[in-house]
Amino acid sequence: MENLLDQSSLFLQQLVNGITLGGVYALIAVGYTMVYGVIQLINFAHGEIYMLGAFLAYTMVTVLGIPFFAAFILTILVCACFGVILDFVAYRPLRKAPRLAALITAIGMSIFLQNLALMIWGSQIKSYPRDMFPAIFLKPALSIGEVSMTWIQVFMLSITVLFMVILHLIIHKTKIGTAMRAVSQDKTTSALMGIGVNRVIAFTFAIGSAMGGMAGALVGLYYNAIFPTMGYIAGIKAFAAAVLGGIGSVPGAMLGGGVLGIAEVMGAGYISSEYRDGISYAVMIAVILFKPSGLIGRQIGEKV
Amino acid sequence: MRWQLYKKDPRFVFLSLIFLAVLLPWLPLGASTNYILRIMTTAVLYMILALGLNIVPGFTGLLDLGYVGFYGIGAYTSGLLSIHYDLSLWVILPLAALNGALWGTLLGAPTLRLTGDYFAIVTFGFSELVVLVLRNELWLTRGPMGLPGIPPPSIFGHPLTRDWEFFYLVLLLLMIVLLVVTRLQDSRLGRAWFAIREDEIAAQCCGVNLIRYKVTAFAISASIGAMGGAFYAKWFQFIHPDMFKFWESILILCLIVFGGMGSIAGTMLGALILIPLSEVLRAVLPQGLFSARYLIYGLVLVLMMRWRPEGLVPFERAQAKKAKLLQERLTVSGDGE
Repeated sequence: MENLLDQSSLFLQQLVNGITLGGVYALIAVGYTMVYGVIQLINFAHGEIYMLGAFLAYTMVTVLGIPFFAAFILTILVCACFGVILDFVAYRPLRKAPRLAALITAIGMSIFLQNLALMIWGSQIKSYPRDMFPAIFLKPALSIGEVSMTWIQVFMLSITVLFMVILHLIIHKTKIGTAMRAVSQDKTTSALMGIGVNRVIAFTFAIGSAMGGMAGALVGLYYNAIFPTMGYIAGIKAFAAAVLGGIGSVPGAMLGGGVLGIAEVMGAGYISSEYRDGISYAVMIAVILFKPSGLIGRQIGEKV
Repeated sequence: MRWQLYKKDPRFVFLSLIFLAVLLPWLPLGASTNYILRIMTTAVLYMILALGLNIVPGFTGLLDLGYVGFYGIGAYTSGLLSIHYDLSLWVILPLAALNGALWGTLLGAPTLRLTGDYFAIVTFGFSELVVLVLRNELWLTRGPMGLPGIPPPSIFGHPLTRDWEFFYLVLLLLMIVLLVVTRLQDSRLGRAWFAIREDEIAAQCCGVNLIRYKVTAFAISASIGAMGGAFYAKWFQFIHPDMFKFWESILILCLIVFGGMGSIAGTMLGALILIPLSEVLRAVLPQGLFSARYLIYGLVLVLMMRWRPEGLVPFERAQAKKAKLLQERLTVSGDGE
């Protein structure tokens, strides 16, 4: 009986950790899925924006001495600008080029940014010094039995939920959101209807990158480990989440992120921790093979 | 002058390059001969790998991000077979190629139905899974301890040890691969690939069985990659899972994008320029910055796509070229028969 109780509280603890992780994947996945919805491009460099977000927040806090919450907001703004620049420099010139060219550019940008970070910050894992770490985050916020949730987990989850709601409102209640949906359906017709297509695409990049950078800043704090290759693995997992939910669908990305986060933590806890990353890849490959439209994505027919 | 000759007959440049390559070990380079030979062996190995990868993005127009997975499979096949069974190189090479083709077919058959970007991401996932398996299945691969002590290949009972012997061996492999790839390019198979690359739907309408030709392309590409890996294991005599990470795929992709996607001469030229360049960087850059050389590769990918997507040596079909040359000759001489 005792043992059974232990088992169930362990399970619940894993569930809490999984949901927190899933929220982060969802934040990153939204960036992939929105860009894919609008220009049908897998923006491989999105994971690097997440990594930059982590580094920017870290640098602002430790080098410039800005308090974490201010640095957090600044990071989001800088990452949004960065996404727009990325689109302007790398992808906009290739709008009419074959898709292979845009895809290779995306890979190239990803490699370039990752190594740029390597040159600037070095390959050593960075962590927040104890005295600069917001102290409240380490304290348990609530604990029921043996299951506990730290403040940082509460903070991450609430930020995730908050921004998902904001995103939903932007997409469905504002003019620019309507324009985004129109562009994702048909670029030419939207242009004819007087929508500035490039402006809408830039806006999409801004929102996606803002959320990616936010996720980076949060994870940098949560694991307290920041390194140049962090975007590469997280990016792929978030992409897996986007695919799992159905690429192009924002609620799908949230659902996919949640499911993948839980699957990963449970898989690492109960199946094999060596294959922790493998679980995400396997889920992704299986979804792409057996249900490419994802859990709640719509079936997209190929246009001739 | 020479360029003119090349335009008339690429075989001229090709033969002179071969001649130069065969001569290389005997040039009076002094103490650095072995160093240069090792670099050139690497360059030729990457030519082989690039020629293999080129079949998928270059000929068929699909982005393959998991090529290094097959390279790793080939290397471990070769390493394990030579350690446990002590097979001859001439048995190992075909076996490794077959193993690569097998995995290529297994991965390609279900995934090549997908659109190009999904295919890219699945191949990426595959190569990551290969590295994870190599790292974690200790009973088979010794995992992160690597696989040391792979016996060197021997030819007619004479074990290869010297640098020039390996250089000749890799050159021989390049000749074989080159023969296969050029013959494929001008075959019915090659024409089907180009048709798929230019327009899948039109190709399908003309009766090209998309899946079959794509899987064939993928399997052939995989087997060339695996063969490259097999040679690498025998040459380096030590392999480690980290040697087969995603970066290698990017490097090889970079070679073909730089040289000219789809163009055999361009692909080889890309390897011939970029691989020795990276060795120069290793010598010039300080230790910490050397790992950032991928910065340059990333930049090469972006800039090439932006300013010169066709690469250094643009792809040209042999038939189309012949027709063009004929037309030129006719207009110059003025008598259209």
